[in-house]
Amino acid sequence: MPFDVDPQLLGREFDRTEYGPVTADELIAYARAVGATHPCYLEPGPDLVAHPTFCVRYKSRKFYPDDLPTQIDFRRGFDAGKDIELGVPVRPGDTIHVSSAVHELYEKTGRSGAMAFIVIRFTMTNQRGETVALIDNRFLHKLGGGS
Amino acid sequence: MTRFDDVFEGDELPGREFLLEKDQVRDYARAAHQWAPRFTDDEGARREGLPGMITPGNMSMGLLATMLEAWAGPGSLRRLGTTFRGLLLPGRTIRLCGAVTQRHDETRSVEVDVWIENDEGERVVAGTATLRLR
Repeated sequence: MPFDVDPQLLGREFDRTEYGPVTADELIAYARAVGATHPCYLEPGPDLVAHPTFCVRYKSRKFYPDDLPTQIDFRRGFDAGKDIELGVPVRPGDTIHVSSAVHELYEKTGRSGAMAFIVIRFTMTNQRGETVALIDNRFLHKLGGGS
Repeated sequence: MTRFDDVFEGDELPGREFLLEKDQVRDYARAAHQWAPRFTDDEGARREGLPGMITPGNMSMGLLATMLEAWAGPGSLRRLGTTFRGLLLPGRTIRLCGAVTQRHDETRSVEVDVWIENDEGERVVAGTATLRLR
């Protein structure tokens, strides 16, 4: 069941969420949980920065825009993977702004039938407007859910 | 810390093999605001149709990033992309692995294939990374 993609949908911001200020305790707890050992990720003080993947904890408040194709079965799906491009490090006191947009939308047919891939791009910036991370998150859903 | 001049295409990174404790996954779920039964509780995960609690895909990226920077030094990771191919179950031994696939002299950076194997040798997470070396 192929779907048409409204080109206006791609790249249009559908959510903007702000988090923070980031605390040293949050950075250290995250770094410990992923086994980091370098003091720059673990010791409170002026040199403390976030572990490189810290930003994956941030997402949009609204999961998807309202105008995705109705053939996508949103009840059945999973997180298929992520690509992270890193910018400047996150530091204690930073405020993180997350802008979300549909970056890609396409279908593929595999062994279990037709699937839709929805790639959400999260652009994360700090309070100075510097990019801290660009995250493309690929979600996979069955097709044939709606009318 | 690994220097660019000492790296060659085909080099294998010193991987890491360890028992991924369920409590470490719970610590991650708490720290990453992913506290949900599937990541914290075997019974809750089974109620969702899973074989037991699973490791968040985001945590597997974090573990790979830690392995990469243990090799190249903090701040070296510039990009990491992964595909979550299967379930990474805690309470079992896992292996974090990597191999250099390309060197870029002009930027002193390298491309690396990365993956995580479960205790049956299956690659349940696979991806690529870019690191800038000194």
